[in-house]
Amino acid sequence: MRHIENFVLNLYPSTKLMLPIFVAISIFLVPSYYYAYMMLPLCMVIALLAGKLKEFMELVIKGLLVLVLFIFIMQSIIAPGEEILWNWGIISVKKEGVILSLTLTSRIVAIASAFLLFFRITPIQDIGQALEKVGMSPKFSYAIIATFQFIPEISKRSKVIMEAQKSRGVETEGSLLTRIRAFIPVLGPLVLSSISNTEERAITLETRGFSIKGKKSHLYEIKKSNVDIAIQIFTIILMIFLLVGRLLTWY
Amino acid sequence: MVLIQARNITYKYPINDGQSALKNVNFTIEEGGFYAIIGKSAAGKTTLCNVIRGFIPHFHRGDLQGELIVEGKDIREWEMDELAKKIGFIFQNPFTQISGVKDTVFDEIAYGLENLGVEVSEIKARVKQIINLLGIEHLQDKNPYELSGGQKQRVAFAAVIVMDPDILVIDEPTSQLDPKGTKDIFEIIKLLKERGKTIILVEHKIELIAENADYVYVMHEGEIVHGGKMEHVFSDPKVLEYEAGLPQYALLGIEVQKRNPSFSRIPINKSQAEKELKKWMEKQEVY
Repeated sequence: MRHIENFVLNLYPSTKLMLPIFVAISIFLVPSYYYAYMMLPLCMVIALLAGKLKEFMELVIKGLLVLVLFIFIMQSIIAPGEEILWNWGIISVKKEGVILSLTLTSRIVAIASAFLLFFRITPIQDIGQALEKVGMSPKFSYAIIATFQFIPEISKRSKVIMEAQKSRGVETEGSLLTRIRAFIPVLGPLVLSSISNTEERAITLETRGFSIKGKKSHLYEIKKSNVDIAIQIFTIILMIFLLVGRLLTWY
Repeated sequence: MVLIQARNITYKYPINDGQSALKNVNFTIEEGGFYAIIGKSAAGKTTLCNVIRGFIPHFHRGDLQGELIVEGKDIREWEMDELAKKIGFIFQNPFTQISGVKDTVFDEIAYGLENLGVEVSEIKARVKQIINLLGIEHLQDKNPYELSGGQKQRVAFAAVIVMDPDILVIDEPTSQLDPKGTKDIFEIIKLLKERGKTIILVEHKIELIAENADYVYVMHEGEIVHGGKMEHVFSDPKVLEYEAGLPQYALLGIEVQKRNPSFSRIPINKSQAEKELKKWMEKQEVY
């Protein structure tokens, strides 16, 4: 059971969605990479308010840090430029390259952290329910929710299959080539078993009355409050301001 | 009142070796009765359950002949969503009996009631009640994917009975359970029967059937080869020919009778066995 007594978590899914939308659009309207990098602390503040700061930071460090460092270094080295900052053999880091990679990585960090946070603070069931409320078929929202729920299950199941194949003599450890080769006997059963399970899953849904027509009820009804509407309007106005400002300072 | 009536049902799965999964099956299910279906593996028990619940012909293709009348209407004319309200169905494999869209066991059990459009406050009350009934309070906040086989089986059972259908088709509900868990499930089935539900149960645990069921049908190679009142079927040595199994007390009785035909009444449970043997021994003046 969920007991939510938190301002951020209680917001309507579409209100929460305003964050990644706002971030993704505004970083292109405000060209400075300082601004884009500021989106990460902004997300951290929201995560803190939602009581999810630790989870969020773990995701950012695990998922984002390595990627961003990699892109930063590659871009700095590869990008062409005149002003050489640092030289080591044939490798040289240029000023233009550094600026370019700062811009690029700042945008990746901003967009990725906004979306990561969105999915941290929005249960996928709520997204499904919100989509149903705007008229989407329950079948479609089921597919979305079930897919998200199934992702951790896939990795667990692939480990089981890996063990099973190991016990049948398939080599799964060693050089990169062996590991890649071991991937095929794991992937096959994983896909096939998932497909063969769909029939029983369909029967399960049928027994739980998935096809019953008429209004369904929701254990956790999501409601749009005045606060939601206020936040949404405020964000849209803010985006319009940024757009107008950008157009005025174009030249 | 006759609730379900099957006449000459023959069914062939779309992909098979030309054999019929069900051959000329006839049976009657009375309202409020507890029916057990026994028989060795691959005798057609699960297929029969699928026909009663309407998954054959609504879900599985294949060739269905004969008629199955549920409350006066042929199974082919029933709508799937109406059947979902009428007949609860619990099948063998607990690992796939998860909706896949819920984070906790509590929500999982509530899923059917959500689909029925029941009021939230009532959903909560009914789910709590079922959780208490099954003694799975300790599981209610767990993720349904992370349960053991036996726990999943209990949750699947709870998720169906919470919807309160009139008829329950239960296919081997105790395959993953230990003896205590099995006994608990039978206690609940008994309780459901007392509440007036009609129960159709496939099960291999003969002793427990002998203690609870009203009627038994024996299946063999796609046919119902024997059927009737439980006491009747279980005291008949013919059942052994179909490898369906008999209660150990009946087996004892049959052995005694073979050696000494004066032992006339074959017992099917412990108390009967004690009574009959005592009576017989007194007569034989063994004491």
